[in-house]
Amino acid sequence: MAEERRTLVRWLLGGGFSASVVSFLYPAIRFMSPPAVPDAAVNEVSAGRVQDFKPNSGKIVKFGSRPALLIRAGDSEWRAYSAICTHLNCTVQFQESSHQIWCACHNGFYDLNGKVVSGPPPNPLEEYAVRVRGDEVVISRRA
Amino acid sequence: MRKLLLLALAGAAAWAADSCVDCHSKLEGAQQAPATAFTADIHRRAGFSCADCHGGDRSTSDMDASMSKARGFRGKIARKDVPQLCARCHSDANLIHKHKPQQRVDQYAQYQTSVHGKKLAAGDTAAANCVDCHSVHDIREVKNALSPVHPLRLPETCARCHADAAKMAKYKLDTHQFEQYRKSVHWEALAKRGDLSAPSCASCHGNHGAAPPQVSSVAAVCGTCHVLFEDLYKKSPHQPVFAAMGAGGCVVCHENHGIVKPSTEMLAGARSVCVQCHDAASAGGATAAKMAEQIGKLSAALDKSDGILRRARESGMEISEAQLKQIEGRENLIKSRVAVHAFQVAAVEKPVNDGMVIAGETWKAGENALKERDWRRVGLAAALVTILVTMTGLGLAIRSIERRPEAVDNPTGR
Repeated sequence: MAEERRTLVRWLLGGGFSASVVSFLYPAIRFMSPPAVPDAAVNEVSAGRVQDFKPNSGKIVKFGSRPALLIRAGDSEWRAYSAICTHLNCTVQFQESSHQIWCACHNGFYDLNGKVVSGPPPNPLEEYAVRVRGDEVVISRRA
Repeated sequence: MRKLLLLALAGAAAWAADSCVDCHSKLEGAQQAPATAFTADIHRRAGFSCADCHGGDRSTSDMDASMSKARGFRGKIARKDVPQLCARCHSDANLIHKHKPQQRVDQYAQYQTSVHGKKLAAGDTAAANCVDCHSVHDIREVKNALSPVHPLRLPETCARCHADAAKMAKYKLDTHQFEQYRKSVHWEALAKRGDLSAPSCASCHGNHGAAPPQVSSVAAVCGTCHVLFEDLYKKSPHQPVFAAMGAGGCVVCHENHGIVKPSTEMLAGARSVCVQCHDAASAGGATAAKMAEQIGKLSAALDKSDGILRRARESGMEISEAQLKQIEGRENLIKSRVAVHAFQVAAVEKPVNDGMVIAGETWKAGENALKERDWRRVGLAAALVTILVTMTGLGLAIRSIERRPEAVDNPTGR
């Protein structure tokens, strides 16, 4: 009876030990060669404080690993777009003098609604939603 | 409600009185076809009828009376008369504005300036008129995907005549434009990516005033979209030379209908377009080779950085800042390709140098991320070894404990 109990304990210990080794090694192996996964989608970022942006100005902010263009068109008028030009993926910028969005690569212009005004861009800019929470400006993807 | 009812009744009465559609719908073949097609026509929806173009009296079911000359019946419209007939309404701002306030009314004036319009005026009735492009009896709005002048269908519509060698023979016109266009970046954008703003025939030649751009205006036509290129080209040493040669600016290097994606191979090497005029050993050839070398250098550096950043990202490292910088680097690559149109090495060098600095930084960021990853791996390996050693020690300790009762049961060891 005692022998049987000892065998059972030995099996349990051996099994537990083997399972533990596997459970330590598996994540380590996965860490060494992780699966190719796309970037985690960023849906919302804080662009800064309201007082950091003066009216009629624009700023490039980081939206995940891609740039976004936040524009303060008026005191309480905010716009945000993907800052990636729809022509060849250059980064667009706000042009204070013309009150338009400009791509320096091929002189493409978009209006403040993100629509193409002139130049080679084929499509409008992707628009993001802008909310002001207290004194924080938050940009998020549109649902 | 009462108003709506009255309008509906008035509309129904108007259609009930259209004897043209009533009779022709009951006929067969070619005589029935216009009545059937007209059900989809935009003019029908606007309240116009067959009689508005063909004359006659649609209010009577008496065939002789409805198609009598006394009631203005014109029958089949001669090809030479089609543009003027359409222009009766389409050049009338007051009438058009009742239906489509934003629609232009200068199509006929433009048509008269076109090669088609001039040929027709000269008595060539084979020249294209309104119905050749817009169809007849089933005319749809341009934005309707079934319209032959919808952006996606326009190249094929033009090609119906312009790719027909028999039709073009008497004009001594080439018929390969459509075939070439279908290999171009513009066609790819239009047909494959569904970008309706991509240039097709009318974007460069005009629609109602269709004519080939003159040699002197080619750069301006391309420049309607490619603004920077036009600016650089106009200031470049090529502009006066090409003008003196009677060569059409952009098309000298890029062709006209078969514009393919440009690459640095166009500057130097076996596929260089510069060698058409510049010997490789000449100053022009050397400039082209130097520009190609500069662009190639930046492109290779950015590719190298992309590679290391990809490996770092696939290893789970956070490199979004470097990825953002890399976009800036790619921008400099694009700017350097634009700068080629100044045809000066210095103009290309500036964005290349800026891009090289960025490529260096992003490479370093990727390298640091991979070093960090390797440190983490070493740390993990060390932790695992420690755990394994501990577990092995525990196992050995348990075994030695298991042996002890035997020693107690049999102290002599026999």
